[in-house]
Amino acid sequence: MKAMQEKVRKLLEEKIDGFIGLKMEHGHPAPFLFSRENLDDLEGLVVGDVRYPLNKTLLRVAGQYPDLTFGVMVRGCDERGLTELSRWNQLHRERVVPVGVACPPELAKLCECYKPYPAEWVVGDKTEGITESKRLVSVENMTQEKRLQHWMKHFNKCIKCYGCRNICPMCFCEVCSLEDRSFIVTGKLPPENPTFHLSRAVHMVGRCIDCGLCEEACPSNIPVRTLYKKVNEIVEKLFDYKTGESPEGKSPLNMLGEVTLELSDVNK
Amino acid sequence: MVKEMEGTEGFEPKIIAFLCNWCSYGGADLAGVSRMQYPASTRTVRVMCTATISPHHILKAFQKGADGVLVGGCHIGDCHYMKGNYMTIKRVAILKELLRFTGFQEERLYLDWISSAEGVKFAEVIRSFTQKIKDLGPSHLRITY
Repeated sequence: MKAMQEKVRKLLEEKIDGFIGLKMEHGHPAPFLFSRENLDDLEGLVVGDVRYPLNKTLLRVAGQYPDLTFGVMVRGCDERGLTELSRWNQLHRERVVPVGVACPPELAKLCECYKPYPAEWVVGDKTEGITESKRLVSVENMTQEKRLQHWMKHFNKCIKCYGCRNICPMCFCEVCSLEDRSFIVTGKLPPENPTFHLSRAVHMVGRCIDCGLCEEACPSNIPVRTLYKKVNEIVEKLFDYKTGESPEGKSPLNMLGEVTLELSDVNK
Repeated sequence: MVKEMEGTEGFEPKIIAFLCNWCSYGGADLAGVSRMQYPASTRTVRVMCTATISPHHILKAFQKGADGVLVGGCHIGDCHYMKGNYMTIKRVAILKELLRFTGFQEERLYLDWISSAEGVKFAEVIRSFTQKIKDLGPSHLRITY
């Protein structure tokens, strides 16, 4: 904690104009914008054991003050998010200074995160990533019929609160196709099954950084994270693209590129 | 609805065919003027390029009770807009994998390249795809929803 406070204080004094992190407010950690003018606030800076989509806050703040440089607390997933957001032209990566936190083994295991640490960190110790996802394997091992029942059962619980979209740090579109009346029927619950959830899944191609906040936010406990983990696996398998990994190159659905697939790969 | 659910006996599939204006639609046209015989199972949606087909459209077609969706575009390199079909093949590949993962029969979505000179191929694709859907039976979405 102290190391983080010292680091942020130093950054605020020298390099950045604001820092987006968590501050203890009424006994609960909440997102807070620390500034050079109020360095005393740093006393309340915590890493916290809850996670917030801080990148989403950063997008809003940086959007309003495009000339300023901001620091932000990042975990492994948030750092992948920064990479993707700049690739999708939402952020000036050079105007963002990440302050890293390495996740504890318990969280890494819960997330089945393949890289639960950012490039540099000031808090925590490096934990080895988990490459095989038990969630995915358990669904993959079902028969086709069982898989359908499994997903239908879960998707039918959806109350269309848009919680998964609202909390998603990678959902930055100004117009959301999940609110397009010609695609998604309004005034009906559950929303069209599976169109609603599969549409969102398609939109996570090359975007999902596997932070898992969507699943945490879901009031109906729909295992959406499993679905998006699969999306990431598909993207990696088909296009050899690991979301958020390297700042070079473009996202597979963000450019036409060259054809690497054959019809026989598609119509198996 | 009840009639449709009575097994696969006498089942006539409903197939939505998204055909690109420049190639596959031309192919369909040629099959027609050449008086080729093929099943009347398809409902054609003519689009300017297969790249304008969002996965939403395909999902929506299934949602509304299509037993199969055919996407017909130009051969790679022949796209009227140079590279539109480059995007189509990526999208369809991703969507098919997702459909498989969520337990839907991904064979119900079929992508093929049919040029405007390939009337024979068009008729053949419709014939074989219709047969495949007939064998699969009505879509799960018709039954479960």
